[in-house]
Amino acid sequence: MTSANFNAISDQPFVELLRADDLSKSYGDETAIANVSFSVAAGEILGIVGPNGAGKTTLLEVLAGLIASDSGNVLWRGETLPAPRRKEAMFYMPDGIRPYQDRFALDVVSFFSSVYRRSQAVISNTIAAVELAPVLRKRVSALSKGYNRRLLLAIGLLTPQDVLLMDEPFDGFDIRQSRNIIQVLRRSAAGGRTLILAIHQLADAERVCDRFLLLAGGKVRGIGTLRELRTQTALPEGSLEDIFLALT
Amino acid sequence: MRLLEANRLQTARFRPLLAKELAEIMSGRALWTMLLLVCPLVGYSFVQAVSLYSEASAAALQSPAAATSLSPLDGILVPTFGSFYVAVTLLFPFVAIRVLGHEKESGSLHLLIQLPYRPSKIIVTKLAAVLAAWAFVSIPALSVLGIWVLLGGHLAPLETLNLVSGHVLYGLLVGSIALFSTTISDSAATAAIIALAATIGSLVLDFTLAGRSGWLAWIAELSLTQTLRTFEQGLLSVGLVFGISAVICGLGALSTVWLPSGTSMRGKCARSALCVLVTIVALGVATQIGRSFDLSEDRRNSFLSADQQLLATLRLPLVVTINLAREDPRYIDFKRNVLSKLERAMPNVSVVVSGSRQDFAGKSDAYGQIEYVYDNRTDMSRSTSSREVLPLLYALAGVQPPAAAQGVEYPGYPLVVNADATLFWFFGGLPLLIAFAWWRSRHPPAVNLVAFKGGQS
Repeated sequence: MTSANFNAISDQPFVELLRADDLSKSYGDETAIANVSFSVAAGEILGIVGPNGAGKTTLLEVLAGLIASDSGNVLWRGETLPAPRRKEAMFYMPDGIRPYQDRFALDVVSFFSSVYRRSQAVISNTIAAVELAPVLRKRVSALSKGYNRRLLLAIGLLTPQDVLLMDEPFDGFDIRQSRNIIQVLRRSAAGGRTLILAIHQLADAERVCDRFLLLAGGKVRGIGTLRELRTQTALPEGSLEDIFLALT
Repeated sequence: MRLLEANRLQTARFRPLLAKELAEIMSGRALWTMLLLVCPLVGYSFVQAVSLYSEASAAALQSPAAATSLSPLDGILVPTFGSFYVAVTLLFPFVAIRVLGHEKESGSLHLLIQLPYRPSKIIVTKLAAVLAAWAFVSIPALSVLGIWVLLGGHLAPLETLNLVSGHVLYGLLVGSIALFSTTISDSAATAAIIALAATIGSLVLDFTLAGRSGWLAWIAELSLTQTLRTFEQGLLSVGLVFGISAVICGLGALSTVWLPSGTSMRGKCARSALCVLVTIVALGVATQIGRSFDLSEDRRNSFLSADQQLLATLRLPLVVTINLAREDPRYIDFKRNVLSKLERAMPNVSVVVSGSRQDFAGKSDAYGQIEYVYDNRTDMSRSTSSREVLPLLYALAGVQPPAAAQGVEYPGYPLVVNADATLFWFFGGLPLLIAFAWWRSRHPPAVNLVAFKGGQS
């Protein structure tokens, strides 16, 4: 496992919140992830970066306890966190879902808010932050891809868990919208929340994440801040794309 | 381990989940479609039933003796609710599947199982939604009760409530089958095939194996349809209610096992085996519970009360050996008129059916004899009537038959009435009300958009 001793962005001491230890998962003969280990600190944004089929979604689902791993552990503040209790620590927002399509967007937001007893101020701020207000009276099935993504983002932000896992959070957004959402995510992390984002668009990942876990073929190819990865690959001016190509 | 208090399973509120499940099932088209289809189905059955009942009543009004055989339970309620039973068997699985199938297909299930609720709580909530859906689609059938009273018909509260309870249990049973089939299926279509295989399979089983003997009879007993027979006879069987409840709970437990996706297949299979085992044991216990209550107004499942009281005092074992094939109408007659009542009245009755189909063909002289053994005394009879069997039993037991009953006999409730006008309700008024309610439910909620534009982002 490779992990920095200091948060490279804020130069704060790296206090480990969550650690994945040697996670593996196979589907028959096909290995989805193999011996994946990493850790994240509170308030950090970790990007799991890799091409389609790299194992990003499987890794998130294993972390969240939605699928059983073949081996490995997840530790929370140094203690093993069994799969049935993962939802107490983290919330996973999958990619490509349309939650409760026959309901109005407001109903969906209200449901998650009431489950987690969120105040009206928190709900209003979240809806305003992701600019969801124009479609609250629309059915989820009638939302555009971008607004559906905003709805998912709102749900994720309304959940209170310390760690939020999101699969492809920028899918469906144009450049301007992505920039706004990056600001929203940054503010959430600044509030102490840890974000683990699976992203296949390297440019988006580079703009939002503090550290990167490069995944290809289910294996970790590199982990660290952009500065650390540049050092590791001897590409002092390299972009995340250059580094990824060098490591895979 | 310090985890977020707000997301602990113990602190989660039940109300938002229940409200969500109810709103989900109400927003599905399957429920409204079924409701609309049930209207003409139930309405036509009711009008036909009233028509036949009126014809029988017209003849009965000339003869008071014939009137005693006219019971609204048999004449009106059972046939009308029978059509509702067909609708529940064929259509309700589609409604019940939605409570989970939609979430599975849209991916919402991933979100649901991460909420701070135990899987058991989620399944219980979904079963509550299924029950609410049943209540909703039963509106046309329940409206029949009011219409029948308005037409001047008679309803006995206890037997009516008993019949409705039977249908509630049947609806829940079908719903729990559908829910379990959804948890183990990847798509709603597969779940529908599994659920319909169980419900329609039962229906077919009921027709094809009716009156058969041996293991075929045992298989026929497994039919879901059998659950309603006892209620339709005005009988509340504790064992049956316990057995159906055990199956519903068993299916609910299996659904709970298969709902979370983060458990290994081996773990799920082991827990499923345990659930099945416990359910089988509970069913075994249910078969041993002989307690039942005759809630029919005409007391059709009991002897006269004086006989009931006297028979209850005969505590030694009674062995009845019946030399009749189960398919023989005399056996069916004997079982209905004597045997089932004896089993309810006496504490210790054993029955041996020794007749076979070959005997039925007339090859044996002993065929048709029924042997009674009580307190080491034996007697034989060919009668299938309680008027002859009860004195025989009293003689075997050495007790005096009770004095002739002075109570009031069931009067019967003949009614000549034309219910054709009610078709306007079932084919017009009620469907229009349903359509209006559906249209209202499609309206978006009122939102103060200004409140969300002023948020501090």
